[in-house]
Amino acid sequence: MLIRLFIIFLTIVSMCMLPAHSNDAVFPFPVHQSVLDNGLTVISIPFDSPGIIAYYTVVRTGSRNEVEEGLSGFAHFFEHMMFRGTEQYSAEEYNEVLKRLGADHNAFTTDDWTGYHIVASADALEEIVKIESDRFMNLKYSVEDFKTEAGAILGEYNMNAANPLRQMFERIREMAFTEHTYGHTTLGYLEDIKDMPNQFDYSLTFFDRYYRPEYCTIIVAGDVNHDRLTQLAQKYYSGWEPGTWTVDIPEEPPQTEEKRSHITWGSATLPHLMIGYRVPEFDETNIDIPALNIIGQLLFARNAPLFQKLVVDEQLVDFVSGGYTDRRDPYLFTIMSRIKNIENMERVEQEIYDAIEDLKNNQIAPERLDEIKSFLRYGFAMSLNTASSVARTVSQYIQLTGDFNTVNKLFNLYDSVTPEDVQRVARKYFTPTTRSVVTLAQEEVQQ
Amino acid sequence: MKTRMIITVLLVSIFSLCMIAHEHLKFTEIHLEDNPLVAFRILVHTGAINDPEGKEGLNALTAMTIANGGTGDLTFRDIQEVLYPWAASISVNFDKEITVFTGNVHRDHLDEFYSIFSGLLLNPRFDESDFRRNKTNLLNYIRNTLRGTNDEELGKWSFQLFMYEDHPYGTLDAGTVQGLEAITLEDVKNFHENMYTRENVHIGIAGGYTKGLIDKMERDFTSLPGGKPEQIALPQPKPIEDIEVLIVEKPNRSTAISLGFPIDITRADKDFYPLMVANSFFGEHRTFNGVLMNELRGLRGLNYGTYSYIENFIQDGGSTLMLPNVPRRQQYFSIWIRPVEHATNHFSLRLALYELENLVENGLTQEEFEGTRDYMINFSKLWTQTLSRRLGYMMDSAWYGTEYFIDKIEEELMKLTVDDVNRAIKTHLQTDHMKVAAVTANAREFKEALLNNAPSPISYSGNVDESVTAKDAIVKDYTLTINPDRVLIIPVQEMFEE
Repeated sequence: MLIRLFIIFLTIVSMCMLPAHSNDAVFPFPVHQSVLDNGLTVISIPFDSPGIIAYYTVVRTGSRNEVEEGLSGFAHFFEHMMFRGTEQYSAEEYNEVLKRLGADHNAFTTDDWTGYHIVASADALEEIVKIESDRFMNLKYSVEDFKTEAGAILGEYNMNAANPLRQMFERIREMAFTEHTYGHTTLGYLEDIKDMPNQFDYSLTFFDRYYRPEYCTIIVAGDVNHDRLTQLAQKYYSGWEPGTWTVDIPEEPPQTEEKRSHITWGSATLPHLMIGYRVPEFDETNIDIPALNIIGQLLFARNAPLFQKLVVDEQLVDFVSGGYTDRRDPYLFTIMSRIKNIENMERVEQEIYDAIEDLKNNQIAPERLDEIKSFLRYGFAMSLNTASSVARTVSQYIQLTGDFNTVNKLFNLYDSVTPEDVQRVARKYFTPTTRSVVTLAQEEVQQ
Repeated sequence: MKTRMIITVLLVSIFSLCMIAHEHLKFTEIHLEDNPLVAFRILVHTGAINDPEGKEGLNALTAMTIANGGTGDLTFRDIQEVLYPWAASISVNFDKEITVFTGNVHRDHLDEFYSIFSGLLLNPRFDESDFRRNKTNLLNYIRNTLRGTNDEELGKWSFQLFMYEDHPYGTLDAGTVQGLEAITLEDVKNFHENMYTRENVHIGIAGGYTKGLIDKMERDFTSLPGGKPEQIALPQPKPIEDIEVLIVEKPNRSTAISLGFPIDITRADKDFYPLMVANSFFGEHRTFNGVLMNELRGLRGLNYGTYSYIENFIQDGGSTLMLPNVPRRQQYFSIWIRPVEHATNHFSLRLALYELENLVENGLTQEEFEGTRDYMINFSKLWTQTLSRRLGYMMDSAWYGTEYFIDKIEEELMKLTVDDVNRAIKTHLQTDHMKVAAVTANAREFKEALLNNAPSPISYSGNVDESVTAKDAIVKDYTLTINPDRVLIIPVQEMFEE
């Protein structure tokens, strides 16, 4: 018998209202939260998407947790294995359930977390809770399946292999982090990927350590009732036993000198430049974090003087971008550019440093700061236009701090950033001794 | 299995939707009074097929210079200054037949935004500096991004050019190196004058705009020159003789492959819908629903994914969904084999074609048909979750002259039988005449292997199911009827040159 969904989108009424006052919560939807006895957090966000829900499972583990030598890329590999089935639902049966629902589903892995997401019909909620809880609690796969999936990981490496930025990220992280696991990318080193087929036993250990309720949060946005969601979570997830594992991630010592490296690229490319400054971890109470984000806008927004000079007026580069990215441990403020002529490589690098020096030496106008705050608020509000984007936003802050309200605290902190803060933060973090620089070109370059 | 029904509330009182032609201007509107966002889509009926010979890329460069340029009153820099605090965006996308300008803004700033957005199209500044910057960006895209750093896109474009040899579709949408270099700012101005006419645009708006804005848009866009440029005639694509292969040679660590052939149906044809079901079963984009994904990745780990399509498919950002507003009068069937290790490129190609032959010969079972049909009906409802995407799909439906595509999918699929699907497969799909493009470092070795139909055994790091090895034993010798005169090797630096 045909299962039909009548999801009629005559009412795409996304409620991305902008708070009238700066002290209002920037996140405009109610957020309901429950915690089961086993420590699993369950969150729902009612959002006007009739008949649709987005169901996210946040696992607060990523390539940051890959502390053992030779096992880089394993969090990502494990994300793939989560689609390989259980005793109750084989991989084919799991997919068949979601296919029947017409669901859009996938997963991704980052440095700090892994996200599993399904967008589907709201009245399929119980079926989704059932199959998701089953694989998170009872995943079971064969050695053969494990080895086969390793081939897909190599394929994922291959599909990005021609992109210079992939190799530049690999190099800059390697240079900037000698101890911390941010020293490798989420995809991992090629030699570790090639060795993945031999790591079946470790995969069981990985599952046992991290796929536990205390590491996970269920987030459902859209046409959802919180009581119903909690009842279903209780029914299907309450048998999930908490674990005991805590990871000891090595602390990165302070960087005391500039590091540089050049990659000679084997095929046609314009020269690339990547610069990374060591910056602190995300912290909703640290005003340096919003100030760093504001510096990213001051340097690289399309109306920024540096962008206008390099891209529009002198046309030395076809892109220049950069900024702070939220991480659970100290990471990098990363700057990237593609330069049209290798003769201008040094000039472009110097222009970037000059723009940074300008922020150190001269306080920005309050009006400019207000424009950036406006941009960030409007950009945030306009991004919340589907159930999935709402769930994804909450997931992002849950993985950082475990508290969905972090986003509101962060935007309140933005409101208190002053031109003095921006200048102080520019002086504090943008120093030659804390930066790493990678250049890439077809040509060799003298370092 | 119980029937699942979701009843949604239709807020008819605050909603209106219409497509109207006023004073030679075609409008599509989705009015949602309470929605704080407004999305614009301006479709111009011009694309790469309108590029003059020797000036390939003129459509793209005109579109880029408009969207990334200024208005009569404001420079590009001025516009960035104004738009920035609102986080408003303006972008452009160009394809073979359509160029679409999109704008998104919070309604707090709607009037000022519209003034700029419309100014770009109606009164473009065409600064020499903006022209030069956009031209260089397009040239760098070809010379560096495509040729050098994105083998998947290189493979897909090489395939399209090879498939549409001596056909208006047989060019890169961004143009050619020599074509772009020959274009002057005067060419761009003239192209705008000739192609951006009242009868050649379709205006779309969705969200919480005021009705007064529609009147203003009508007045403003009426200032465009009149007339409708003559549509470029499309001949039938050249017949393909056996399997023809283009190998693009460049240093890389894996082989990217795209293959397929033109088909003579589009969304406007009845058979598109049964073929849509067949294609979803065979190669749905980025899911494990498809045969190809399961055979190449799921069972053998050959690559990240393999999918198939029955129309031009461009992924919308990082989603699994198709970008709207890339309609075409002629479509094609294609298979996209994401990069495989060089050592398995021949086997992977064979396996994809072996599975295609199996599909053509055996079709779908009743159960497979029902599961896939239901999936498509339900999944297609997720394609229009944002204002802009819904507007885009509505405008595409107008382009094809059909009812709203998402509704039509359900209507057509509900009427289908498995026999309809299997008949459509046999009518439109085949394995004898095919164009293949591969981007690989081992071009000569690959060519020799193809010409000789050399066996292509593969091995695995672990045990695999006996059914897999049994099929592999057949596939490794599966005969590909390669046209010996049409296995071409082209160095990457010669691609997209002229």
